[in-house]
Amino acid sequence: MRNGQRIAFIGVMLAVLSTAFWGVGAQQASAPAAGQREGGGGRMSAGPPEPAPRLADGTMNLGRAPGEKGVWSVPYITNMGERVIEADGTTVYERRMATARGARGGRGGGRGDLPLGGGEGTAGGARGGAKSEPQVPFQPWAAAIYDYNSKNNSKYDPEGYCLPPGGPRLMATPYPMEIIQLPEQKRILMIFEGATHIWREIYMDGRPHPEGDALNPTYLGHSVGHWEGDTLVVDVVGFNEQTWMDYYGHPHTDMLHVVERFSRPTKNQLRYEAVYDDPGAYTKPFTVRWNIPWNASGELTEYICQENNKYLQSLTDDFGQPIFGKKQ
Amino acid sequence: MRTRFAAFAAAAGFVLATATAIAHHSFAAEFDANQPINLKGTVTKIEWQNPHTYFYIDVTEPNGTVVNWGLEMGSPNGLMRAGWTRNTLKVGDVVSVEGSRAKDKAQIGNARVVTLAATGRRLFAASSQTDSTQQQQR
Repeated sequence: MRNGQRIAFIGVMLAVLSTAFWGVGAQQASAPAAGQREGGGGRMSAGPPEPAPRLADGTMNLGRAPGEKGVWSVPYITNMGERVIEADGTTVYERRMATARGARGGRGGGRGDLPLGGGEGTAGGARGGAKSEPQVPFQPWAAAIYDYNSKNNSKYDPEGYCLPPGGPRLMATPYPMEIIQLPEQKRILMIFEGATHIWREIYMDGRPHPEGDALNPTYLGHSVGHWEGDTLVVDVVGFNEQTWMDYYGHPHTDMLHVVERFSRPTKNQLRYEAVYDDPGAYTKPFTVRWNIPWNASGELTEYICQENNKYLQSLTDDFGQPIFGKKQ
Repeated sequence: MRTRFAAFAAAAGFVLATATAIAHHSFAAEFDANQPINLKGTVTKIEWQNPHTYFYIDVTEPNGTVVNWGLEMGSPNGLMRAGWTRNTLKVGDVVSVEGSRAKDKAQIGNARVVTLAATGRRLFAASSQTDSTQQQQR
């Protein structure tokens, strides 16, 4: 662990001493946010869903059709633990949505897909010490870090510092994004309005990941991709340790290896699935998934997080001292 | 001046779909959803900036004291999608603000809804979560 969050780490050491590593059954009282509806996007229409567009060569088009607008409306997923696919093939989030639909007489596809409103990180309330979940295969130190982040309401979340999300959190930070395929250049760009106004490049030319010191740890890592039928598969390594996996503060190490799968079963839905394999922080790999709706009228706008980040001016450490500026 | 300051107890169901999502930093680390605020005052300053737009209002308390409050909203991109422009609020405008107070009890709050007294126009101080949902429903 050579994470730069030293202040947080001091607290973690304290937390390690006082915390049970596996907080079984201590689910949060308030539901974390699903930022926006999943499962299709757009308004309900009577006809069959529109098919996904394709490039001229027949390749699945994960972006706009020629002459059209549109962006992916990335949902706000604050807790990856709720999106972990468990032994029965479902996630906490999916089970909750199914229950919500059942309570309304089994009418699917309706408001059960709407945002829950509020949610963590929002006006919905505080995290308040929610413990590490049993469906996430934490190593003890990772569980302790997670519980520490929970206790302090994620105040040290690097996104609050205007640092970028790393890995799948890019697809869980609620700003529009676009996927731009450049097959003639053998690469794909993903452009994120939020998440610190960042882009990522996915090499599609068959190159391997760099090895040894040639693999420089970065926020977004090194991404190589290929198509498996209509599914884009992206393999990512080379993450630094400056990011959290989510707002809730699931940690990771620079041993993290992510495999992402992007598919577009209909024009209005991007299916996203990612395998986290981090032997530095977790006892075994686990897979998360969620859907991302298409906003057919959307376009990207500017968002420069660093401009006037007053949050940092009021941020204090565990001893009440300002993190930036003069100590009292 | 008819401006006034009223703080009221937390009400169940206060949040729901109009809740302002703070995707940028931890809401709970800075604000307290259990300290709702309901302010009416005159705009003294606007900072139309990322990652949060702030505006400041002079609020006259019942005892006549004037207190300046700072209020956080979403980023300009999010506010634009929610129907704002950089000129929606002007210095001198009288506004009502619903939101949550800072945990440290400073005169700082997170604005969830802003109502312009002159026109009655009610605007959500949206961030990207709420505005992209609205876009989706458009």
